[in-house]
Amino acid sequence: MDKAIVVEKLIKNFEVNVKEKGLAGSISSLVKPKKKKVRALRGISFTIEEGELVGFIGPNGAGKTTTLKVLSGILYPTTGYTQVMGFDPWERSSEFLKQIALVMGQKNQLWWDLPAIDTLELNRQIYEISDRQYKENLDELVKLLEVEKILKIQVRRLSLGQRMRLELVAGLLHGPKIMFLDEPTVGLDVVAQAKIREFIADYNRRNKATVLLTSHNMSDLVDLVKRVIVIDKGEILFDGVFRELIENFAKKKTIKLYLSRECDYKKLELIGSIKKIDLPMIILSVPRETAAMAAAEILQNYPIADLTIEEEAIEDIIRKVFRGGLKKKSKKE
Amino acid sequence: MSKYLTIFKVSLAQEFAYKTNFIMWRVRNVLQVFLIFFLWDAVFSEPGTTLFGYDRTSILTYVFGLLIVRGLVLSVKSYEVAGDIGRGDLSNYLTKPLSYFKYWLTRDISSKTLNVVFAIGETIFLYLILKPPFYLQTNPVLLVSFLVTLIIAMLIYFILIFILGSISFWAPELAWGVGWLFITIIIQFMSGAMFPLDVFPQAIQDILRLTPFPYLIFFPIQVYLGQISISVIIKGILVSGIWLVVLWFIFNSVWKRGLRVYQSHGK
Repeated sequence: MDKAIVVEKLIKNFEVNVKEKGLAGSISSLVKPKKKKVRALRGISFTIEEGELVGFIGPNGAGKTTTLKVLSGILYPTTGYTQVMGFDPWERSSEFLKQIALVMGQKNQLWWDLPAIDTLELNRQIYEISDRQYKENLDELVKLLEVEKILKIQVRRLSLGQRMRLELVAGLLHGPKIMFLDEPTVGLDVVAQAKIREFIADYNRRNKATVLLTSHNMSDLVDLVKRVIVIDKGEILFDGVFRELIENFAKKKTIKLYLSRECDYKKLELIGSIKKIDLPMIILSVPRETAAMAAAEILQNYPIADLTIEEEAIEDIIRKVFRGGLKKKSKKE
Repeated sequence: MSKYLTIFKVSLAQEFAYKTNFIMWRVRNVLQVFLIFFLWDAVFSEPGTTLFGYDRTSILTYVFGLLIVRGLVLSVKSYEVAGDIGRGDLSNYLTKPLSYFKYWLTRDISSKTLNVVFAIGETIFLYLILKPPFYLQTNPVLLVSFLVTLIIAMLIYFILIFILGSISFWAPELAWGVGWLFITIIIQFMSGAMFPLDVFPQAIQDILRLTPFPYLIFFPIQVYLGQISISVIIKGILVSGIWLVVLWFIFNSVWKRGLRVYQSHGK
């Protein structure tokens, strides 16, 4: 298979102005601006094959979004080599841009005051999509994302979940070969998250599209990706099979429960270690394999109003990866 | 080409999205003219008064001309550039096969088209109410020259604001600051948007004529009023044309450098 994305020793530094708090700080920064160099990416390398669906995971500020922005030609790399579908992203040639899509959960391209269909029509012209192609793609996307009824409603009247789905339609209308998805499920409820996830998997399969998606939420990736790249502070900590990461580092699951009335919850210690008590909420950490059993036992013996089983927080896993020193692929020479 | 035509159409639809806003803006325009009109009418109430070579007719024509030329030249869409860069919205455009410059130019033309249509209606309305002694230029050479100077003026101001907006690449917090407002007021002051520039001493006028500013407002109106000779008009068109080219090159260089330090904020 061909390499869709090649990144070698990519470094990206930002210069940011530092400002002390308050008015005095504003004035002093105006008179004598202080610059600080932020090293967003410290020489990362990886390659992605065509048709792969890769999760890019790390805490906020790890460099995930920066990487996507360099790969889509928005940011100029400080040093290093990047190639996407054989193009240098920075040149932003039309042929390149027509093959990629960058969809950001927190940035919208839809025209706020107009119905989404207007933005879609505009994108059709911008990407020079043929009538037949447009109809085909639109029909497919509209069906997959179930947005038929909201296409003609002013965007600002829609809910966040509806808007996110329309953002995806607008972003993918031109049938990109490469999708960069930045936190596509951020701020969405569980049902909407599942819908988006399902769609991404489906799109990847049907169109053999390469997908690179970022998240700081482990559960986002569970059913979706085979391969995961863990990044923190601008460095790659882990690059490999997602299941391996889970087996090696996420040996625990978190059970979050709400008691419906007071009771003797001390005995929960026997099921798993209590991480936090904030009545009526209790957070337990249990071994991964027995998580389901533990949950069943709790439900049977305690007055439970609500219970969820969650993956460990990404920060915890990263801490373990760091300590464990399992670096499948190190950036160091 | 059809992509920019669609932008033009969508842009028009957008302008109409806030109908009350739009109507209030137009009403404000009309009120502004009333204000300026009565001010100057009072100044020239004594018959036969002339001031800086303007009599009642020509000053009132200047004021009416100001309304139209100002509305066309100073209402540029490139004001959005600073915000786009500061908020990181520029990223949305960079990932599309689309020229960001042409995008805003198209939206600018679209909003100006709307502006002209309404301005003509309003002018007729005001004309009927105020019955001002209005100077109608009939000389076709002057009318064509007026059109040429107007187009150059619109392009110069569009690019000028585009360049100023690009400062956001280096200082995103400056974009909305007082400095920005200050600069545009100075530009408007030197362009004759407040009053005709002949009120300045000749020496200052001569210096101003070497800058791009008088060609934004003052010069086009002067051409319309037929106050200057053909040779002065040609010279003016030449100087402003050179400025247009210079600004275009400055824009290109600034934009290229800016994109390299662009940080795509807001996320």
